[in-house]
Amino acid sequence: MGCSNSGSPAYGEMSWFCCGSSWGPCGSAGHGACGTCNSGSHQCAWPNTSDACFGITHPDQCGEGLARRTCGHVFYVTSVCSGKCVSVSIADCGPDTNPFCGERSCCGSTCYTNRIIDLTPSAYSAIADLSTGLSPARIDS
Amino acid sequence: MPQPDRRRFLTSAVLGGSAVAGATALGSLAPEAAFAAPPKIKLDPGALDPNFAEGRITGISGSLLRASGSDRTLHRVHVTDGTSIWKLHPTTFDQIKVGDGFYARGVRLPDGSLAADAIWVNIVNLDASIAAIEAARLHLDHNGKRVIGHVVGGRTAAVYGSAPAVADLTRLQVGRHVKVIGAWRPDTNEVDVATVYSGA
Repeated sequence: MGCSNSGSPAYGEMSWFCCGSSWGPCGSAGHGACGTCNSGSHQCAWPNTSDACFGITHPDQCGEGLARRTCGHVFYVTSVCSGKCVSVSIADCGPDTNPFCGERSCCGSTCYTNRIIDLTPSAYSAIADLSTGLSPARIDS
Repeated sequence: MPQPDRRRFLTSAVLGGSAVAGATALGSLAPEAAFAAPPKIKLDPGALDPNFAEGRITGISGSLLRASGSDRTLHRVHVTDGTSIWKLHPTTFDQIKVGDGFYARGVRLPDGSLAADAIWVNIVNLDASIAAIEAARLHLDHNGKRVIGHVVGGRTAAVYGSAPAVADLTRLQVGRHVKVIGAWRPDTNEVDVATVYSGA
């Protein structure tokens, strides 16, 4: 599989997060739940990497039936706004989906709901502008 | 007339050794313009991205930024008239200072330097909870540490749920989880807030 060609993609909001060695408020971020996360690598956080992770993020409370995927699993994330796609591997648990249930991001008339994936700055900036913070995306396995 | 290729343009501009005149021939220089090119992302998942750099700026020579990466890698980043620059808002090269943190994306040149398509200066994206609210400041708890978020008149906006961004911050509540896009004030625990996303 690859970009935009799997049978059961997920649609939602993507954001970005820092991890690994960093500066400023990110300096205390650490290397993520998988111990491998670095801002300069094409990696992501997924809200259902383990029971403990799911117990924090609870995407189910937003109506999201996201599959269990563990460290190293590869997703293909396509930005609705740019049409660009990046491949990323899971390196952390997140985002914290349930505090923001119903939140929606749009690009033109295409809108997707709920935060379902966080990308590292290098991955997010490959397909979107970091200053947007949130953006609609399609996720394929 | 076809749109010039932004990456080829940046590369030739740097190799030419001079600032670029007439960059507006590329169209908008806003950050989002850097992502308008066709999709060509070829990199193994999990791999370090050679076309990306981050760290703290240690020196500025003409249009060249020298920087120390958080992993102690030394970077040289070329900024041209075609580079989009963000520092709380889209801005100009003269606003970049030694000591600033940054993320940059561009084209890696044969000499190892990076010709920047886009550079985000001091940008942060914080998951936090609101500990206290003052007239011009938000007290945020982020990863167990306190961060002060300064409200910037004419810039700071709030997004409540799926509604459009507004300048009204009065619906923010203590204890609420928020996401904050802002610009770090170097060597402090303070940020200037661009956008605060609140769940409802």
